Order: sequence, then structure tokens, then C-alpha cells
Amino acid sequence: MIRFIDIHKAFGARTVLDGVSLDVDTGEVLYIVGNSGAGKSVLVKHLIGLLRPDSGRIELGGKEITWLTEHEFYAVRMQCAMVFQNSTLFDAMTLVENVALPYRKHFALKPAAARERALAKLDLVGMRSAADWLPGDIGDGLKKRVAIARALTLDPSYVIFDEPTTGLDPLAAAQVDDLIRSLKHDTGVTSIVVSHDLRSIFGVADRIAMIYQGKILIDGTPAEVRASRDPIIDQFFNGRADGPMKI
Amino acid sequence: MTSAASRVLAGVGRPVVGAWREARGLAGLFLDTFVAVARGRVRGREVVHQMYLVGNKSVPFVAITLAVLGLISVFQVATQIKQVIPDFTMLGAAFMQMMVREFAPTITGLMVATRVGSGIAAEIGSMVVTEQVDALRMSNADPVEYLLVPRTIAAAVMMLMLTIVGIICATIAGMLIARSGFDVSFKTFLNFQLLDAGDLALGGTKALAYGLAIPVIAGRAGLTARGGSAGVGRATTQAVVATSFAVIVLDFVISGVSYVVFGQ
Repeated sequence: MIRFIDIHKAFGARTVLDGVSLDVDTGEVLYIVGNSGAGKSVLVKHLIGLLRPDSGRIELGGKEITWLTEHEFYAVRMQCAMVFQNSTLFDAMTLVENVALPYRKHFALKPAAARERALAKLDLVGMRSAADWLPGDIGDGLKKRVAIARALTLDPSYVIFDEPTTGLDPLAAAQVDDLIRSLKHDTGVTSIVVSHDLRSIFGVADRIAMIYQGKILIDGTPAEVRASRDPIIDQFFNGRADGPMKI
Repeated sequence: MTSAASRVLAGVGRPVVGAWREARGLAGLFLDTFVAVARGRVRGREVVHQMYLVGNKSVPFVAITLAVLGLISVFQVATQIKQVIPDFTMLGAAFMQMMVREFAPTITGLMVATRVGSGIAAEIGSMVVTEQVDALRMSNADPVEYLLVPRTIAAAVMMLMLTIVGIICATIAGMLIARSGFDVSFKTFLNFQLLDAGDLALGGTKALAYGLAIPVIAGRAGLTARGGSAGVGRATTQAVVATSFAVIVLDFVISGVSYVVFGQ
């Protein structure tokens, strides 16, 4: 289980998170939603030590991890993988080298052994045949699949997806949704998904948490969110330009 | 306290606190880089690649600049000498000493700061704003070890090499102008009698110090980049200004220490 407890975070004078508390249960698919700049990605990056809170606590499996050192966070990052918004594959490395990097760095595997394992992960996402291509040779949807393969290299218990379907065509987006579903059913992985994609949210989520003005506005099942009469929630999930929501 | 007084205090305190934080961050990055090097966490192939980018790619830029500088220096000095005592026997010797001690390492340092410092800040800054540095951290690849260590080793080695190339180019250009403009023979110009081991050590120390400082200062600018392409642009400008300033300050400090401690 993951617990964010009263997290505050500001960048200069701009407060992004203003006391966010949120629990993530083991094995669930939690979607974190909110308008652009609401602090969704900022919140999840605290879990893996890419950002540190101004105040508050983060617990993983009952242990506080808020103030671990960068070195200590490497163990957390073996449990919690992240698929970044723009895939962030390294342009100078082939696809298989990108996926092999965590094996080489976390386990100090030799290049040949790391490549073998990386090929198996690329197989999982249907990208083995393109293993020796460069990221520049493939489209965004395929890059996303490779980024997911890289995130799965260490068989993590938790995977954070930062806007996994943004910028993808509907077919590629559906394939990513299927991957998230199959991760849960096949391996029991807990997924935290930051997204704006309503079709994906209501098609995949076990639970939805919405951040608005630095706080959690609603935290519930898709049915509970749909049933909400809050005008801000109604405006956001129905995609209306006019309403009480401050952007 | 009145609001005017607190505004004045805040106006004075904010830049001081900012400068203190920057200095502390930079010192930490220097320490991290040197600790990684000391622990042998060096990717040899990447060091060679960076040596090519920092060194080989800078040769034409440094060679032309130093040749022109050598040519102008000899012409100006010889013109002055001609007006006072038209004796050029020590022209080459004084020129060599000036080049080795001061101009070759420092002008080469400024050239490398401009060309290489901006490149490092832009490359690392782009990696930061596109989250590639975060992806490295997620893969257990320390950004300092992965990005800064190879660039720092490469720049330190290649600064020494480029300084030697600069001295050779400046000397050849100076020799040619001395011969053609002032009738000084090559043999008279190539006079090393004022050069001693202290001059070589001073020039070498400066080149090495610039080579170590430029990548770390530029890397810090890149690693602290925020806010998309505008942030990368700011980081690049900041890197060029900070590395150029660092070269000038290091030149002053190393020359001063050399004078106070060794008397030269």
C-alpha cells in the first residue's frame, strides 16, 4: 500500500500541492486526474524521490520513504517503475539498449545477459523485431510500448504511468489501456495512472482521484465519480468550457 | 519593522541567499563529480567520445583564434619595440613566456567555455526538461556519473592538448609576422631562454583548472534548467556567462597564488 499524507509542494511562489492525502491499495488501478498543471505528475514523482515535498509524509508498504537519500531511493525505484509522459527513450541507444539499461545499472549485468532479458521484455509488448532500431525510427505509440517494457524490466510491484495515452491515436491508446489491464490481471501490479483521457479513465480505472487547487476533490470508484453532483467534477468529466472550475 | 525596511532587507537578502545556494550547489556538484572519478566510476568509451567532441571538434576554432592572437600580439609588441629600442632579440622569448603562462591557456579556456560549456548546458538542460535525467535516475544511473564524469575528464585532458595546439599555432603565426614584418629570423624568434619549468607548470595548471571547472559549471546550469525550451535557453546563456567568468577568476587566483607562493 502507498500512502501520501498531507503533502505540500510549492515551486517558488506557486503552490501546487496544498495538503494532498491519498491512499493507493495493492493491486488496484488508480487514475489521478485534474486539469493541466493541477499537480498530478508532481504528486506521483514524490513516490520515487524525483521530487521532495515541502512537508508531509509518504509511506510505501508501511515504511516511511519521504526523506530517503538518493542512493536509498534506488531500492524504491526497483519496486516502483515509471513510464514517463514523453516515453523518454535515450535517442543514442537502440530500443533493446534502452530496455537493458536498468538491468545493467541495477543488477550490474554484462551487456549480453542484459540484452537477453531486455529482448524478453520487448517480446511482452510486441517490439522484439524492432529491438535494434533507434527511437527516432519509430512512432510515439511504439515508443510508449518500449517505455513500458523498460518500466517492467525489474518486475516492479507498482507502475506509475504519466499520461500514457496522450498524443496517441485511438488504436495505440487502446493497446496501452489493454497493457495496463493485463498488468493487473496477469501480474497483480498496482498501477497509478495520471491521465486526462476520459475513455481510458472510465474503461480501466478501479478508482479515480481528482486533484483540484492543490487538494483531492474526489476519491472514489468510476460509478461514484459519475454519480457526483459537484459542479466542478461535473464540468471536468463532461468536458465543458463553461462552469465554476478555475483554470 | 516597517514594511519599507523589510522590503529593503528582503531586497538585499534574496540575492545573497540565492548566491549562497548556488555556491553550495556548485560545490556539491564538484564534490560528487570528483568522488565518482576517484571511485573509478568512469565509462571509458564515453570519455573517448567526449574527448573527440570537446577536443578534436574545437581544434579549428582554437587554432585560428590563437594564430590570429599570436599574429596581432607580435605585430603590436614589435611595433612598440621598434619605436623605443629597435632590438628584436628577445621578442620571441618574451612572446613564448606570455603565451605559455597566460594567453594560450586562458584564451583557449574562454573558447572552450563558449563552445563546449554552451553545448553541455544545452544538452543536459534538454535532457532535464524532457525528463530523460529522471529516466536515468529511475534506471539507477547517477546523472553525475553518467553525464558529468565523462565530460569533465575529457575536458581536463583536452584543455591541456588544445592549449599546446594553441601555443604552436600562435608561435607559428607570430614567427611568420616577425619575419615578414620586422625581419626577425625564425632562429632568433624561437628563443626559449625565458621559459622555465615554473612557466610550464603555471600554464598547465590553468589549463587543467579550466578543463575541470567548465563542464561542472555548465552541467550545473543544465541540471537546474526548468520550463521547456525557454529554460534550456536560459541555462545555456547562464553557462556561457558563468564558465567565462570562472575562467577569468581562476586565471586571477592561480596567477596570484603562483606569485605569492613561488614569486613568479
